[in-house]
Amino acid sequence: MATVVELPRLTDTMEEGVIAKWRVAVGDKVKRGQVIAEIETDKATMEFESFDAGVVLQLVATEGETTALGAAIAVVGKPGEDAEAALAAWRGKSGGVAPAAEAPKAEAPAPKSEAPAPKAEVAPEVSPAVAAPAPAAPAVAAPAPVEDGGRVPASPLARRLARENDLALTAIRGSGPHGRVIKADIVSAIEARSAAPKAASGAATVTSGAVDRRGRPFVSAPDRPVKLSQMRKTIAKRMTQSKREIPHITLTIPIVMDRVAAMRAEISQAIEGSKISFNDFVVLAVARALREHPRVNGAYSADGIVEYGDVHVGVAVAVEDGLVVPVVRFADQKSISEISAEIRDLGARARSRTLRPEEMSGSTFTVSNLGMFGIEHFTAVVNPGEGAILAVGALSDEVVAEGGAPVVRKIMRCTLCSDHRLFDGADNARFLAALKRLLEAPMALFA
Amino acid sequence: MALIQIRHAIRDAIAEEMARDERVFLMGEEVGHYNGAYKCSEGLLERFGERRVLDTPIAETGFAGVGIGAAMCGLRPIVEFMTFNFSAVAFDQILNNAAKIRHMTNGQFSVPIVFRGPNAAAHMLGSTHSQAFEPFYAHVPGLIVIAVATAYDAKGLLKSAIRDENPVVFLESELMYSVKGEVPEEEYLIPIGKADIKRPGKDVTVITWGQGVPVALRSAELAAAEGIDAEVIDLRTLRPMDTEAVLTSVRKTNRAVVLFHGWPYGGVGCEVIAQIQEQAFDDLDAPVLRVCYEDVPMPYAENLENLVLPTAERGLAAIRAVTYRR
Repeated sequence: MATVVELPRLTDTMEEGVIAKWRVAVGDKVKRGQVIAEIETDKATMEFESFDAGVVLQLVATEGETTALGAAIAVVGKPGEDAEAALAAWRGKSGGVAPAAEAPKAEAPAPKSEAPAPKAEVAPEVSPAVAAPAPAAPAVAAPAPVEDGGRVPASPLARRLARENDLALTAIRGSGPHGRVIKADIVSAIEARSAAPKAASGAATVTSGAVDRRGRPFVSAPDRPVKLSQMRKTIAKRMTQSKREIPHITLTIPIVMDRVAAMRAEISQAIEGSKISFNDFVVLAVARALREHPRVNGAYSADGIVEYGDVHVGVAVAVEDGLVVPVVRFADQKSISEISAEIRDLGARARSRTLRPEEMSGSTFTVSNLGMFGIEHFTAVVNPGEGAILAVGALSDEVVAEGGAPVVRKIMRCTLCSDHRLFDGADNARFLAALKRLLEAPMALFA
Repeated sequence: MALIQIRHAIRDAIAEEMARDERVFLMGEEVGHYNGAYKCSEGLLERFGERRVLDTPIAETGFAGVGIGAAMCGLRPIVEFMTFNFSAVAFDQILNNAAKIRHMTNGQFSVPIVFRGPNAAAHMLGSTHSQAFEPFYAHVPGLIVIAVATAYDAKGLLKSAIRDENPVVFLESELMYSVKGEVPEEEYLIPIGKADIKRPGKDVTVITWGQGVPVALRSAELAAAEGIDAEVIDLRTLRPMDTEAVLTSVRKTNRAVVLFHGWPYGGVGCEVIAQIQEQAFDDLDAPVLRVCYEDVPMPYAENLENLVLPTAERGLAAIRAVTYRR
């Protein structure tokens, strides 16, 4: 029976490849180990050596064509054998990936981006007593680069090293005779794994090679691969951009919140159903302070500085595996109860992921509050497009000296992290002083 | 240190032991008046006299048996076979008397005897005179089997063999009698059962002995030119074998080739490989290969004989194969 040559996984991260060049033509004799094609992967163009010997009966993939991993690219067999019959039989087996030329839906149940079901069991040769029954097939799990099913040819040393390093032999392309996996293949797989982002599937825990001083092995769990969500990608991109481009300066100021606390209690008594938080006061005070210090409500660009005409305060909200910043628009012109209700609504809809995109854009300044976690003070990363971000710490009773006598006050520390290109430390300090003044004498907010 | 031929290292070992212990004597064909077929006993008759250096008739069964009887009676005979091919005639004496008397008499008698002479193929001696005998003797519990490849090893090990309480089969090489090597002036002994690393390396272990040693060393040189660092281990004693030395090396290199003069089937090479796969299985990155005679009676024709013998090139091919270099 002729053998169908499948597109091999030549790098750990490739999901598809392009036949850059065929080195053989139909009718050519092929030896095991002979380079039959150059394949363009996500990393480089690599030579593909045949696992099979025989005569090239058919080249299924054409040069320049993008082909999924595991797809048929050629058929090799004895002269005169029927290539179509071999292809039909190959397609009949589960795990066959359609060549790109054919309707992918009819032939390939698995989406192109996923590895086809491995034909061989994952590392069936690993003794359960020695390792987990299924050592995590790392993300590099590929269609077994071996002939039909069964056992992966591997040297005893390669087997041991694979076991010790939690590598599935089925995922490794053997470079020895008949595709035998040898030490060198394991070593490069280990190197590739540590070079690539840590990623592995499966949740099995295994005993590691390392032992404690009593000789008992430590339990080792495989790494959990997490695909980047759009949100994480955006956060990663913007925060990296910020830290790369913006020279941050950070200043922290303690603010005595006793009067805000008293006013908050008063309002909640006076107005039924109102649930005004300390953060609501902070947002209002920030908005008013920004009006006094327009440069802080601005942004730097190489073409010049812009001082935004409106005050739109973004409020960072932690959501599952991420962070969103809904915006309180025209915050300087809103009352405390309006701000409070708006933040509560935006926060709830942020957590249920029902915010509209426009509700999360257009902020001119951001407030990030980690006080509820007991964080005393922290620094934050300026959102690109803004000039500063206020990091708000926890409010706690502290003993402070007043007029030479110790008294207990509710202290909250605020840290302004700002773009040094836009303004300097003294401007930063003046803004914080204004904020402190507004919060320590909060009646000013209602003047 | 003196640079001397292997034949003189052997002669010196015999002479020193004969001078040291008057129970030691030498017997064999042409060892006396002719000074040895390969001149390994040159001057011994003159020095020690006819009582201790005895020319025998061409009757291996007889003089091997006389030697065994003398050993049982308290002497320490050295029996030279002109070549080990002739020991086939004495095989029953060695197999059933020398190797078993200590066992069968529950230790009442021991047989401290050395059977020595050249072994394996020399050059165009035909199929009956070109055989390697270590598989026959190393197969037998009760015998010690030694194969030497340098003057230093020959002298140190022959002295140890003469002093040992057990029957020793001591294998030399006709082709290597003239090979010179450094030998200390002062007395020394090499313990039986210890292998020697003739060339340290890290990529592949080549296990060899006797006439195989120079071939293996040349293979290692050829491999080194290709960037493969081969370690050459000379077993020196084939029974008892220094398995630890072999395993230590294989655990380091993960690959092994056994190179020797002899047929492939059922020999000492097989025992080496069996020990490796039993005790270092998980350290192997490639099957262990043999480089030895083709599995045929040795041809007389020179061109054909060259095809049968292990060569440095065949050794290199095996080294490449186990290191996956093509």
